[in-house]
Amino acid sequence: MPLDTTSTYSTTLLRLDGRRWNELRKISASISTQPTADGSSLVTTGNTSVVCTITGPREGRGQGDRTNAIVDTDINIAPFAQLDRRRVGRTDKRVQELQTTISQAFQAHLFTHLYPRSSILISLTVLSLDGGLLSTCLNAASIALIDAGVPMPSILASITTGTIIPTDNSLSRPEPVLDLNNAEEVELPFMNLATVRGQTGSEDQISVLLMETRVQMSEANNPLEIMLRIGLDGCAQVRSHLEEVIRRHGRRMTQGRR
Amino acid sequence: MPRIADVSNVEKNFILEALTSSKLRLDGRQLDQYRSIDLTYGQQLGNATVTLGKTKVNVQISAEVTKPSEERKFDGIFTITTELSPIASPGFEIGRPTEQEVLLSRILEKAIRRSRAIDTESLCIVAGQKCWSVRADVHVLDFDGGLTDACCIATMAALHHFRRPEVSVEGERVTIHTMAERVPVPLSILHSPICVTFSFYADGELVLLDATAKEEQVREAEMVVTANDFEICQIAKHGGKPVDPAIVVKCFQVAISKAREMNKSMRARLTADLAKRDIRGQSAENERGEAPIG
Repeated sequence: MPLDTTSTYSTTLLRLDGRRWNELRKISASISTQPTADGSSLVTTGNTSVVCTITGPREGRGQGDRTNAIVDTDINIAPFAQLDRRRVGRTDKRVQELQTTISQAFQAHLFTHLYPRSSILISLTVLSLDGGLLSTCLNAASIALIDAGVPMPSILASITTGTIIPTDNSLSRPEPVLDLNNAEEVELPFMNLATVRGQTGSEDQISVLLMETRVQMSEANNPLEIMLRIGLDGCAQVRSHLEEVIRRHGRRMTQGRR
Repeated sequence: MPRIADVSNVEKNFILEALTSSKLRLDGRQLDQYRSIDLTYGQQLGNATVTLGKTKVNVQISAEVTKPSEERKFDGIFTITTELSPIASPGFEIGRPTEQEVLLSRILEKAIRRSRAIDTESLCIVAGQKCWSVRADVHVLDFDGGLTDACCIATMAALHHFRRPEVSVEGERVTIHTMAERVPVPLSILHSPICVTFSFYADGELVLLDATAKEEQVREAEMVVTANDFEICQIAKHGGKPVDPAIVVKCFQVAISKAREMNKSMRARLTADLAKRDIRGQSAENERGEAPIG
């Protein structure tokens, strides 16, 4: 069994877990999983699973904004989520950055002006973590907010993309890969991308874009541009999947009522 | 909790209308024009002050010998600490770091430390026992927007300027030579990242560089792209209004060209300062190894 993607990908064109470059891991999502919450969801992408509960929109005490609702996020990574048992504290800057990112993404995306002086709290609990933390959190929050009945123009869908940059010159083109797992995230340069559907006739718009690794800029087949292109496509795939989940849930609800 | 006063609706509308209708900024700059950047070095090695318009940042680098961490025995330690104190703006307070401060320190961390701008392996003295711990203290003295850009330039300028004492190892014995005894050595810097902050207005149609505090308050989204002369080191768009992918890709190109430009002027300042120090009889060798000892 190979230990890294870079050395074997050029010969097998298969990744460590046997996927092709554009294959997503299995996404299973469901909404209304927590009966007591205003909105809730459980999203599992491969071995990453996140539970999301929404509290609100409700009266925001001491909330300064008189025209909009304020979106707040709380991420809790369970100590047993990763291979090594470890407590991730609330003061961890990485987690705080993720919280801010999720809040700011939904603050601009939701129709918050319909709920003046209110607050919407997104609580995320990460049960198991194998790459794609931010993406899975954003996807879970997105459909949980729909369950809570907060209006939004489209589903905010997210994915990670990476590139395999060949070390030897036998394969001169950088190869993009979609939806990385933890081993690949450690090894390859990758970015987190979240998009919302654009207006008719225009492309999907980028809401969140985070990249932490160095990537060379070259004139011809620029790896960054390729990653972005593939990512936009991946987000669209995830979005259609999540939409299907919402529709299925809606059908079940209307049937139950009859 | 102190807060920066929000821009009034009248002023907000004025700024936005000037931007969208006639592409004018409050201070008359071009959309992609930086305010004047001034870099001055302090008396000590590794002390740099950067002013970007009214924004002012001072960075001091220091080094001490410590024990390396158990997981990374062959690496030295490099940390960046930022603090936004009330000296810079009435909106900042001491104590619990605010969201803005966390994001600033995370971006600097990703831009400089995670991208391995400093070769931490060269900071190792005896594996598992002794290493250098290099620390960059970022002090924000005045705040008028463009904090990330200014802090990143100041930190890199100070790192280039810093010299640590020479160390010699004989078996188990480690000797740290004073600055007078041996010529101090510069840090081994692998590349020089520069942060460029893009502010988006009018549904991402208008892209501004180096926004002032007022322009920052009325923007719809921001994106920080960190680049060196030939690579993108880090991208951070933490939510905000969605932006068209084509515009984002264009930003990458702009970031690289701006980084090249700024690195060039930074190098010029650095050589000028080091040359000045040489005249005063202080050691200021640019490259390691060329140092005449004695």
